[in-house]
Amino acid sequence: MKKSAIILILALLVSTCLVGSVSAQDQITLTLWDIRTASDQVTPALKYAIERFESDYPQVKIDHVPTQNDNYKTKLRTAMSADNAPDIFMTWGSTGLKRYVEANKVYDLTSAIESGWRDNFMPAAMDLGTFSDHVYGVPVTNVAPAYIWYRTDLFEKYGISLPKTYADLKEVVAEFVENGITPFALANKNKWTGSMYYMYLVDRIGGSDALQKAINRTGAFNDQVFVEAGEKIQELVKMGAFPDGVNGLDEDAAQSRMLLYTDRAAMYLMGSWAYGTIKNENADILTKIDFMNFPAVESGQGDPSNLVGTPGDNYYSISAKSEHKEMAVEFLKYLTDEKMGESLIAVGNIPPFQGVGNKIDDPIMKKNYQTVQAAHYIQLWYDQSLPLELSQVHLNTTQALFSLEITPQAAADKMEAAAQEYYGN
Amino acid sequence: MKTNNLLSNKYFVAALFLVPALFFALVYLIIPIPLSAYYSLFKWDGIGAMKFLGIDNWAQLFSDTVFWKSVINNFKLVAISLIIQIPIALFLAVLLTRQIKGINFFKTIFFIPMLLSSIAVAFLWRYMYDPTFGLINGILNLVGLGHLTQSWLGDSSIAFYAAAAPIQWRFIPLYMIIFMAAISGIPEQLYEAAEIDGANNWQIFFFVTLPMLRGTVINASVLIIVGSLKYFAMIYALTGGGPNHASELMATYLYTKSFTEMNMGYGSTVSVALFLIALIVSVLFLRFNKKDIRN
Amino acid sequence: MIIKKIKAALIYLFLLIWLIITGYPMIFLVQNSFKIKMEFFQKPVWSLPASFTIKNYLDVINSGFYIYFFNSIIVCFISVFLIIIVSSLASYAIARIDFKFNKIIYILFLAGMMIPIHSTLIPIYKITLSLGIYDRLSALIGPYVAFSLPISVFILTGFINDIPYELEEAAIIDGANRIRIFKDIILPLVKPAISTVAIYNLTLLWNSFAYALVLTSSPTKRILTLGLFEFQGQHGIDIPLTLTALFLSVLPLIILYVFLQEHIIKGMTAGALKG
Repeated sequence: MKKSAIILILALLVSTCLVGSVSAQDQITLTLWDIRTASDQVTPALKYAIERFESDYPQVKIDHVPTQNDNYKTKLRTAMSADNAPDIFMTWGSTGLKRYVEANKVYDLTSAIESGWRDNFMPAAMDLGTFSDHVYGVPVTNVAPAYIWYRTDLFEKYGISLPKTYADLKEVVAEFVENGITPFALANKNKWTGSMYYMYLVDRIGGSDALQKAINRTGAFNDQVFVEAGEKIQELVKMGAFPDGVNGLDEDAAQSRMLLYTDRAAMYLMGSWAYGTIKNENADILTKIDFMNFPAVESGQGDPSNLVGTPGDNYYSISAKSEHKEMAVEFLKYLTDEKMGESLIAVGNIPPFQGVGNKIDDPIMKKNYQTVQAAHYIQLWYDQSLPLELSQVHLNTTQALFSLEITPQAAADKMEAAAQEYYGN
Repeated sequence: MKTNNLLSNKYFVAALFLVPALFFALVYLIIPIPLSAYYSLFKWDGIGAMKFLGIDNWAQLFSDTVFWKSVINNFKLVAISLIIQIPIALFLAVLLTRQIKGINFFKTIFFIPMLLSSIAVAFLWRYMYDPTFGLINGILNLVGLGHLTQSWLGDSSIAFYAAAAPIQWRFIPLYMIIFMAAISGIPEQLYEAAEIDGANNWQIFFFVTLPMLRGTVINASVLIIVGSLKYFAMIYALTGGGPNHASELMATYLYTKSFTEMNMGYGSTVSVALFLIALIVSVLFLRFNKKDIRN
Repeated sequence: MIIKKIKAALIYLFLLIWLIITGYPMIFLVQNSFKIKMEFFQKPVWSLPASFTIKNYLDVINSGFYIYFFNSIIVCFISVFLIIIVSSLASYAIARIDFKFNKIIYILFLAGMMIPIHSTLIPIYKITLSLGIYDRLSALIGPYVAFSLPISVFILTGFINDIPYELEEAAIIDGANRIRIFKDIILPLVKPAISTVAIYNLTLLWNSFAYALVLTSSPTKRILTLGLFEFQGQHGIDIPLTLTALFLSVLPLIILYVFLQEHIIKGMTAGALKG
């Protein structure tokens, strides 16, 4: 009696286990993979787009599969490797997407784009999804340059004025340190966070073409500008500009922002999404938050209006294997339409779409938008503009700069050695 | 009749008994290793075309300082885990098998770390270690040992040890419970005889309990050795192998190479090396302890 | 007498210290699960919640958590059940039937322990696809069983080796076949080792992560450990909510353990992992 009951239960369990997802006939299911988990700031906007699409196309169901950032990359790469990508997937554009394009895994969106859709987008944002004049991914989220976010009240309290130049910045750092406040909230376990300082310093010292020269090999990654950027980082480190054990703190676990929220740190160099993140995590503090551009370096060649960041954070693409490409294109149009633009603005994003400027009411977001418009040049994050082989070396050496475990010269030489190996010269 | 004949044929019976296990092992365990060995001969990002390299990846491995650092870290982890987990687990097991008031409560709480997932443990310890908000520095400051506060996970010289601590924390309960079971299995008469001989607690432990647990300790050591050589989860979650590779392990290195840097060929090389190292070490350990099957 | 009391006091002191070391993180988990998001960021992390809110619990439960929970139970229990059967059969053959390849097969299984999980992700993904079970819970059972086999065989073989051979000899003389001997004599004797195998594998599988990440996709096929990441966005995290999910995911195991503790220890007694 008891035994047969156990067997029955097991059989039931096994059968639930073997059943796959059953879908009704004629019903189309589009699988969508991205990183819009329950706590992601963009999720409400995405959900709303799915809702609108599904009510307009009742025969189509969007099977939305969100996976957290790092896990998402592993999941997507594994699926791509076995040629089993979902109908629609998300990338960060640029070199990451390019790899999938080169392996013929991505559907060419060019003809759809050229039939009027292109007018939706800010032109600069299209570049990261375009390879040899063919479009493979459309930008959906945030135009996101990195700014120095700062606590206005702390600057006021200690009578410190905003730095215009690197020399000013050093003074600001010294004053905050004197008052027992960590100048910059930074969590650099993640490496890309510290990389922002390096990228800005390179831009301010050597101008917007310093990196380009190194990439096209008319310059080198151990040119003076790169060494100097490393020296300045270490100068700031030695002054105490960053939290203790900065390389052990995790940005994803909010260990940087916790310093900002608790009045322990005054500034936070981070992508413009920080505004949405702060709004989401600790709205009370929002009135005491503002941002400024990274200061100029005296005698440097960089234009201080230049920004480092991305013209579109997340790109959505369609798999070359999808059986419902046209339907998927239709869905992508819902992801990039006016209503999506509005709901993205509502969650604190500047969508990479045309004509969003006059829809933004929030003063900080408006300032953000205008700053982007005023920028002469936006340098894409190094970890996306460099090939993977080099971007990892960049991230690792920059992290080591922050812990003073490598000299600026050695870091630059290491980067150059990797570049020579990669470019073969 | 016929089945009975077959069933008395030991080869047939052995095959019958082994087939299910071999099926799972073959499909999921055995295939990946030669496959990894094969990938290790190529330059491959896991997605695009594969380019044959011959032994280049292997040559690179031998001169790769980060890899060797990770090997050393793995062996450090083996040593730390053996030295910390086994004695503490033994000590706890001995205490918990005595008649002490409230013992069940202790037993339950002591086992909890084992029930938490590595992800959860890493998540918790990250906040314990936070230099500013964390409990550990907080306590040090509170008791006037402020000079001992550290940036636990951020300092290359201690990050590895800091990240290794929660591993000990999580796995001690497992060995504790295994030892408890083994201790309860020791015949009462042995203890009685020892007591009649006037042995004190320490003598009983060293001359009765410990020798009786020899096999259990050896087996637990094998689990610890193998587990430490292929350890991944909490180190990856806490430090990602950093800073500056200070806490890199073979498994975190192969993961970073394969999935972050998309160098599947080299990642596979590291994974085959890990496999060989772990195999050699365990076989040597078992040999050394003459704990072999059919001895 | 005094010495004895001091001794007892020392023992309690040690137990108490260890209690704090093992128990505090749970307290941390629980106390912060009652906080609201803002509070976590504004107050020291070890402060008590200003007002207890159960909102986090409701949010976690409403996020499909119970489906993940149910999935985890199904997969883990079926896997552990299969592991017990498969590994005890194999261990018996290795320990007791002299078929010439015992040592090789044993070493083969031992070698299985050394395989790093992440180097198998892509091969197993491909195998799963070709078996047509991608994105089903059954896709997880194969790798779960396979990766638990080596340890289980290692434990059980050691244990069976220790069983006096005479017990079987009598049965063999009586003409019983191996299946009967296994079922009627060996299995009852290895029960303690089986409970070791069961609890060891259950705690490992309950917490396993990598295979579920790549081998399943639909939210309806998600398991608990994956669900824990639901509360980490691209650029932000809800820490109290994550802690609540962590707590809820471990709670069933704790309850199970409290109820089965005596059974487990008793079951394992008589020589778990004995050599």
